[in-house]
Amino acid sequence: MSTASVRIEGLTKVFYDDSRGEVRAVDDVHLECASGEILGLLGANGAGKTTTLRMLSTVLTPTGGRAWIMGHELREEPQDVRLSIGFYSSSTALYPKITPRETLRFFARVNRYPAERVEERVELLIDRFGLAEYADSRVEKLSSGMKQKVSIARTLAHDPPVLIFDEPTVALDVLNALELRKIIAQLRDDGKAVIFSTHVMSEAEQLCDRIAIIHNGRILACDTLDGLRGLTGKHYLEEIFVHYARDSQA
Amino acid sequence: MALMDSQVLTIYAHEVRSAVRERNIVIYSIVLPLVMYPILLWAIFAGIQFVQGQTERLGSRVALVGLPDEHGALADSLENEKGIEVVPWEDTRDEALSAIGEGRLDVLVEFAEPDSNGVALRDNFTVRLHFNETRDRSSGARTRVEGVLTDYRDAWLDRERKVLGVSDATWADFGIVLENVASPDEMIRFLLSIMIPTLMIIMIAVATFYPAVDATAGERERSTWETMMTVAASRTTIATAKYLYVATFGAVGGLLNLTALALSMRWILAPLGGSTEQLTSAGIPLSALPVIAVGTALLALFIAAVMLVLASFAQTFKEGQSMITPFYILLILPSIFMQDPDMEFSMLLATLPILNIIMVIREAIVGVYHVPQIAVTFLSQIIFVAASIGFAQWVLRNEEVYMGTHEGGLGRFLKGRFSRRASSS
Repeated sequence: MSTASVRIEGLTKVFYDDSRGEVRAVDDVHLECASGEILGLLGANGAGKTTTLRMLSTVLTPTGGRAWIMGHELREEPQDVRLSIGFYSSSTALYPKITPRETLRFFARVNRYPAERVEERVELLIDRFGLAEYADSRVEKLSSGMKQKVSIARTLAHDPPVLIFDEPTVALDVLNALELRKIIAQLRDDGKAVIFSTHVMSEAEQLCDRIAIIHNGRILACDTLDGLRGLTGKHYLEEIFVHYARDSQA
Repeated sequence: MALMDSQVLTIYAHEVRSAVRERNIVIYSIVLPLVMYPILLWAIFAGIQFVQGQTERLGSRVALVGLPDEHGALADSLENEKGIEVVPWEDTRDEALSAIGEGRLDVLVEFAEPDSNGVALRDNFTVRLHFNETRDRSSGARTRVEGVLTDYRDAWLDRERKVLGVSDATWADFGIVLENVASPDEMIRFLLSIMIPTLMIIMIAVATFYPAVDATAGERERSTWETMMTVAASRTTIATAKYLYVATFGAVGGLLNLTALALSMRWILAPLGGSTEQLTSAGIPLSALPVIAVGTALLALFIAAVMLVLASFAQTFKEGQSMITPFYILLILPSIFMQDPDMEFSMLLATLPILNIIMVIREAIVGVYHVPQIAVTFLSQIIFVAASIGFAQWVLRNEEVYMGTHEGGLGRFLKGRFSRRASSS
């Protein structure tokens, strides 16, 4: 029996498109992610990263396959899955009219964090993410970097064991992206299982313990960076990625 | 499922908190019901009064043609009437008619020999009034002239019957006494009973409109919809909380409007005429308020569910508005068709949503309570509300709808669902 926090077996998502017909956005994906590990999902735009992560967060229902998060199956116990995860993507924006403090309080409460400890948790996150100065300003008035920090803090409001980040640095400048990567590394050190998608090779190289290469909805390889180097004989991740992508089209 | 579990309340409170910080929602759901409609009503009544006053101030230009010599006193009466100016007319009748059409003359009073040879009274005559009803000044002049002619005729008939020896008692048998049994209060309540249900529906629809679009298409536009979908609450819980939020604003809008109307009734109705004393107790009777309040709340619950479902297919605020607008018009239509004060509140009517609430509110304002019909109305409305909530939850649970990937509106969605079900069975 696997002890992985996240276990994915044959996860598949098929959409029907009027013009293209049946589209297999995610096709028979198998993955695992343990506590204290960052699993990078590396792929080009449209590779199926977001769809995979949306299924893991139960926003989308899989067409086939199964997945367990902290032992809870996606389709059988979707609420328990959502209790166990913090999900961030570019399409999970913050509510502009409320403050960061109200945001954290709301997400802690609605995700059933013990009521008597909500305020303590909110203050801890405000402190940890350096939000004190802006904690009572409306989110709409914050800078992009600050909003990103609040978004990440929002995913942690109920202290979930699994974190799913879909391209979290995509709209950030260099300094803010660097700070965010540090935060994600700290979360791994705190024992969280982190699944992190990106199309930026250097980011995956620096941050991920293992990297899964996804292309046209299929996982082409999943290993540590050194393992991938050994398998392909290529040194740079970019070369490794191109190797697998070309291989799959051949 | 518990309708009001802690997650529903948490999401509901969160939605309301965000909404009261949204300027458009505050304006359309709170400020407008509270202020705008009383002001609008007052402005309409004051405007009508002003226009009437202007018309009354204008003199009526009246020409007489063929006045019998024996009735010269009638010309004097017309000349002495305030607001009437008898214009000497030398031209032909046709020219007078043209002058009325062009607005140079208001009324032509044409006298002629009576048609019948069997008239009993001497010096009798027939009078024909020519006027133009499309012009206020001409219509007003007609009313003034008709008043003078009626007074003159009555006096003349009275004189002639005395000559003929008809006694006062016999003469009284031919009289017509007009007596309006409705008091000024009742007249005002009658007017309110026609106006208020229509205004109430408009107000609830306006107050519900923005929250419904905000809770669905607005969330998508702000990219907060998916954020909400990742919280550890069931889709039904989220749909219920959103529904309660939209319904609250609809009900609050309707009730605020009702309160504002009730509090400002005397002031609003003052231009309708009558002394202040006559209007002292005018307005909505206190006993009607609970019935109206319940009706308003049920109406808001129903409208909120339908608007939420329609708006949930929209990708943007603009799209949401265009998807809801046909329903908005449909809502107002019944209240327009039901302007007939003699419409009977039948049991069949009591089962029809919206129409039944209009009838309950209308009757409560004039102090009529058909208890069986009210009970059927509230019961059928509760059934409709429960069905619409269930339907809203079912629609919002659907992945294509909550992810906004469904193209088209409710009709296409239902067609797709049922054709899929038929093909799979």
